[in-house]
Amino acid sequence: MARSVRLRGSARTAALLLAALLAALPASAGVAQVRLKLPLKPRLPLRGNERIVLAPFVIATEAEKARDKRLQNVDLQAEFQRFLKKQIEKKTKLEIVPVPPELKLPTQNLSELGRSTEFWRALGVQTGAEILISGSLEFRVEDRSGYKTEEYVSPIDGRTYYRQVYVEQTGFLFDIVFLVFDGHSGEKILQDEFKDFRQTGGRRADELQGLFENLFSLENQILNLFVARDREAERYIFTD
Amino acid sequence: MKKAALVLGAALVAAGCSSYSRTEKAQTQISFGTAVARRGLWREAAFRFEKAVEKEPNNARAHNNLAVALEAEGEFARALAEYKKALELDPNDTYIRRNYARFAEFYTSYTRTTGKATGGS
Repeated sequence: MARSVRLRGSARTAALLLAALLAALPASAGVAQVRLKLPLKPRLPLRGNERIVLAPFVIATEAEKARDKRLQNVDLQAEFQRFLKKQIEKKTKLEIVPVPPELKLPTQNLSELGRSTEFWRALGVQTGAEILISGSLEFRVEDRSGYKTEEYVSPIDGRTYYRQVYVEQTGFLFDIVFLVFDGHSGEKILQDEFKDFRQTGGRRADELQGLFENLFSLENQILNLFVARDREAERYIFTD
Repeated sequence: MKKAALVLGAALVAAGCSSYSRTEKAQTQISFGTAVARRGLWREAAFRFEKAVEKEPNNARAHNNLAVALEAEGEFARALAEYKKALELDPNDTYIRRNYARFAEFYTSYTRTTGKATGGS
């Protein structure tokens, strides 16, 4: 009996030793998932404290406004300018120069606007701004309601059936094209486009809320024009 | 029972020692690099993984880890080269392939928007 107890004790010690040894050895094929914040350099070659002008944007959906009541509820130009101004003031050191009140774009055609070097140079001289921002905005509210197939388990026989249900949804599409001009030469120095689509439940979802959902999801990309931002990513590293 | 446990223990120690003697320094660098990487100290991690690559230039895992650390530091062009090297050394590794695919997606969009392959020396 005493021998058996001693043996059991030795076996326990050996097992502990073995466990300690195994722990000390490197785990085979060890992989860990890590989260990175990828530093994104600003897309405009700026010092960071330039004077900039936020000129009006061409509203691509202006013609549809007369027909679409929901677009009439949104002052896209004012809302976007306010959002952009606030973001730039909050998250960059750029100085926003007020736009001359009587300023009108020379054209509503985006390509021609990009080539209006004289207009942009004159605006740069008038305001003393080094960077001029303009472009186009498109905001659409789409009724995405329709029939969708869903699974249904019958409480009577417990079997699975498929049925058609009517789902009310609203889609919000936002598309911005940025045109950035050099205030001294009037030359276009960058053109870029950002798009976002959001879908929410309900046929009568609020259009202003939809617009801001779009804008907040594009915030990082928009700010990355002017300042460094980061983007989250996941990668695998080997631990042995 | 006791004897068997001791023999097994000795065998494991011997096996452990033999594998460590071959790659001791690269392994040490990778382990240390991984530990600091998990704490977000990517500059130090990159330094350690670079040392591991120097010790074992054909270690695909060391190249992969170095690529991830360089990516975290914004050295994207160098990260690309390291991912490629890792894949060249071990083209069938799922994790390396997955990392490379995700990086390639990011890097393509990054170079498209910046207009040039920046971030590397």
